[in-house]
Parts: sequence; structure tokens; C-alpha cells
Amino acid sequence: MKTFNRSTGRAAEAIATRALQEKGYSILERNFSNRFGEIDIIAKDKNTLVFVEVKAKTGIEYGIPEEMINPGKLQRIRNMAMVYLNGKSLPCRIDVVAIVLGTNNEVLRLTHYENVT
Amino acid sequence: MLVKINSVAHIGLETVPVDVEVDVASAGFPGFTIVGLASKAVEEARERVKTAIINSGFDFPPKKITVNLAPADLPKDGAAYDLPIAAGVLIASGQLVLPPDAHSKMFFYGELSLDGTLRPTRGILLLALFAKRTSGATIFVPSPSAAEATVVSKITVLPVTMLADLVRHINGTKKIPALPHTKYKISEDEGSIDFDLKEIAGQEQAKRALIIAAAGGHNVLMWGPPGTGKTMLARALPGILPPLTDAEALEVTRIFSISGLLPSGVALIKKRSFRSPHHGVSAAGVIGGGTNPLPGEVSLAHLGVLFLDEMPEFPRNVLESLRQPMEDGTVEIVRVAGHVRYPASFTLIAAINPCPCGYLGHPRRECKCTERQIAKYRHRISGPILDRIDLTVLVAPVEVEKLSITKEYSGGSLTSKEAKAAVVRARAIQSKRFAGTHMYTNSQMRNREVKQYCRLTPEAENFLKMAAEKYDFSARSYMRLIKVARTIADLADQTSILPVHMAEAIQYKQLV
Repeated sequence: MKTFNRSTGRAAEAIATRALQEKGYSILERNFSNRFGEIDIIAKDKNTLVFVEVKAKTGIEYGIPEEMINPGKLQRIRNMAMVYLNGKSLPCRIDVVAIVLGTNNEVLRLTHYENVT
Repeated sequence: MLVKINSVAHIGLETVPVDVEVDVASAGFPGFTIVGLASKAVEEARERVKTAIINSGFDFPPKKITVNLAPADLPKDGAAYDLPIAAGVLIASGQLVLPPDAHSKMFFYGELSLDGTLRPTRGILLLALFAKRTSGATIFVPSPSAAEATVVSKITVLPVTMLADLVRHINGTKKIPALPHTKYKISEDEGSIDFDLKEIAGQEQAKRALIIAAAGGHNVLMWGPPGTGKTMLARALPGILPPLTDAEALEVTRIFSISGLLPSGVALIKKRSFRSPHHGVSAAGVIGGGTNPLPGEVSLAHLGVLFLDEMPEFPRNVLESLRQPMEDGTVEIVRVAGHVRYPASFTLIAAINPCPCGYLGHPRRECKCTERQIAKYRHRISGPILDRIDLTVLVAPVEVEKLSITKEYSGGSLTSKEAKAAVVRARAIQSKRFAGTHMYTNSQMRNREVKQYCRLTPEAENFLKMAAEKYDFSARSYMRLIKVARTIADLADQTSILPVHMAEAIQYKQLV
């Protein structure tokens, strides 16, 4: 089950990366991580640095992916972003890409929320 | 889309309008926030509303939902905002369509349970009284507590059982029938009486004092050894109290509505309350309290009886806190959250023993207390409290022959029914006297009214002067004596106070 979830996550991150690239974002990092956690995608939208959290769920029987983003998770992303910025002051924001997958990993819905904080 | 729903908040017995603004944004990260100084109970409305909407078969929009309870600086408490928030979410997400400007005359109020049914909510009567100010108002309230709103005329009361019923009603698929207006009428038979006066052996003086107290709303102190019938006498009092009048019933029901003590399905309280708190009660329990102050025992006993059994056992601060309500008939509670005034015009009935062992002055038994113990015991009830008591009666030990259970005691005692009839007559005289004022009984008169309504014959006045000089009555006692004499004269159906009435009043003003 765990392996299955992880592979779903990896697949979703790849889908999200493609979607962002299509929107004209340039991808700087994927799975930037240290011992505090991980940022799924770090991208650049024009001059703004964008930290992206990708959340995917297979089906919505157990809730929609948006429900799984809580203040704690956002705080963790904020902390990680702080680490990435390393004291530099740049225009930046946090985005969320929510993906609902079908049973065969086909994309049923992909929603990109800009500046969620 | 933004919608505005009318609801209310209660500060004591005052009702203020609250606008529940619900915005379901078309863009933005999904979430559900409530702002506007919401307490924990209101915050938790989030989970109740969300689950209730889903379990009622509607969609909870996965969008950014913001709820604002305006005015923003007024603290809101209680679960009554569940229904307005749920209605707002359904309207703002297009699942419920209201005709334009229909909501200005609609009020929503009530707590939701997770399955979408509405739970009994306190304060419905106050909402109804407030809604009456808007002409043609409709209130949507939980059906278990809807009855209390029906006493208010000129509004439409719609009892809502399920959230889905509300939607069907507004969409027009299935209308909820409005509850009919309840007319107040005094029912002659108000259930059984715990104790009939006739069942109590002897104690004629105490019975007479209780009748005077019931007729004029005066305070009574009964003292005597254990087991002589003090508690029984007090329990017999509700049986001789007159039924609440129209205006009185509404006042009492308002207090019970805000306390959430109104039984489901009951529209109006018609019986005078008889409150007998245990002596372990706290001061906040007696006068009212809490962060959002709720009425205490004195307010629940409004226009009824507050019975303090074993009065010296009550904590000192509790007894002293009774001073203000006993004098003014209202109680003012000040907390950080605000300042609340509740009516508290009650008749105090107190029972005390003469000493800790209880047998001081007993004809046959010996008192085992030391002087010091007795002094300490007496000291627990302060002068200012005793000064506010109009009628003091000794409840002496009963003679053995009066206790016979085979022989019917024929001491010429009144039955409760007869006593009640006399009380009702005396009250009728008083309500005629105080027509158009906020007063109901002689005990509520202030000095100005005493001068206006209490005509003493010269002999009666002389008599009172003599007694006042001899016993050194305080100015307050002096006025209170006249009020008691007024009640005694009313019981005798006399327009002016005669020496005989004055004498009886003074006879009850003995110092313990």
C-alpha cells in the first residue's frame, strides 16, 4: 500500500511538472529535501519564485485532495522555503496542485491554486 | 457569491441583530473560515454545518468559504448560528434559491446535528420578540423549541425538523406549515399540589404569614426546632400562589428561554417558580454568572419563591449577594464580556434553627449549645438581611394530640384551595392598583408608591410610630411594615389601613 501511494505521488508530481511547464513556468528543483521535509516542485513564474505542493488522490471516496492540505503542512512548506531562500529576499509564493486520479492513474481533474497562503 | 442572513445574539435579555455573511468565492484555495469574535462553540459550527449539509444530500462546495458574523466586535456564543451558516452556504452555492430581498424578513436560528436534524436551542422566545419589530417577519427555528415562539403574535413561526425540509420549503416543493399563535389563558387546574395547608398540623401563625407573603410578595423567615414543619410549610407555598398573569408569564418565560430550561413543546410558563437551592450553592449560581452571564437562582425565582432551607448554612457571600436583588428586584452582573441585568423580584422564604443543636427554647428538650456557639450561629445571618425580612414566625414544636393520624385534625385550618382564593382576591386588588406600572405586588412598591397608595388611619399611624420608637425600627423596616399592613388590609378587603392591620404587621416584625 505504502509503495503504491508513493508511486502515485511520483506519477502525480510528474503530471504537475508537465502542467506547470505548459503554463510557462521554469522548473528549478524537484523534490528539494532535507531533514525537515520536502518541497515537491520549485519553479519560477516570470520573476516570482514558486514553491509547489502537489497533492494527489485516487478517487474522492475518502475526501478531496484539497482537504489534505492543512495549516501544519503549509507551515512546513514555509519553513522549507525559508531554508531554500537561505536569507535571500525574493518575491515568492506557495502554490498547490491538486490532482484526482482514476484507478489506472489517469487524470480526472487537475486544479492549480496560486498563492494559497 | 455573497449572501447575508439575519440572525440574533443575546446579551442577557437584550437581543441584538447579527448579520451572518457567507461568501463562497469562485477562486481561491478551498477552506472554511468563520470570523467575527466567534467562541469555540461557533467555531465548531464549521464541522457541524459541513457534515450536516453532506448528510442532508447536498453538496458542500469545495471552494473558499468565508463566514463573517457582524457586528465584528460583539462576542458570539452558542450553537444557534449553525442554521444561518448552513442556509448561507446553500444559497451562496446556488443549491437554494431565495426570491430577491426575501431574506430581509427572514430570521434563521438553531443548532444542527450531524445528520441534518435541528436540535433544541435556547433563546427562541427572545428571537421571536425581536423579529416582531420587523413587520411580516418569518422565523425559521428548530421544531423542538418552536412552541415558545408561538406566544408572539404577528410573526410567522416555521418549525424546521431537518435541513432538507427547509430547502424543500423555500424551493416550494413541500411547504412547512406555520405554527398557530398560542393565546395565553390561565388554566384553573395546574396539576397536583405537593402539600395542602390542611395536611400540616397546627402552625396557624406560620400559615397566616405564608398567605400574607403569597398575597403581597413579602419575605418570610421561619424559625424553630428541627422537625416542626418548616420545610413542609415552604413546600405548601406553591399551592397557594396565584397563577402568573399574562405579562408576568412572558417575563418568566423569557428568563427560562435564555437559560435553556424551557421544556420542549412548552410555549409559556404559567406556574410560579419555586426554587430551593442547596446550601452548597456558589454566589454565581445564586445571582447568575459565567463569562456570558446566565441567570442564577434569584432570576429563575423571578415573580416566584426562593426558598433557603437551613439559611445559616449558606456561605456568607451568597447571603450578602441577595441584598441588591431583594431591594431592587433586579440583579446586575458585570463580567469582562459585558454587563447584564436580569430581573430578580422574588419572595424569599428562609428556614432557620434557633441554635446549632436546634433545641433552644424547646418546651421539653434541653439545648446543648454553648453561648459562644449560639452567638456564632446567629452571627451568620447579617443585620441587613434580617432587616429585609418582613414576616418572622416561630414554628414551634407540635403538640402530640394534634399529630393523631386516625382522628381528622379539626383545628379550623384553611385548605390550600381556600387560601389560594383569598390570595387571588388580594392580588386582584393589587393589579388594579398598579395597573400601568411595572409592579405586580405591594412588596415591589418604592417609597413614593407607599405614600401614594397606603392610607393609614390616624390611629394606625400613631400605633406604628409608637412601635417604631420602642423597637428602634430602621427607616427601611418602617416602610416595609406599611407595605405588609397594606397586604393585610387587602386580604381583609379594606381600602385604608386600620390599627388591627398595623398591629398584625408589627407582630411579625420580631427580632430573632
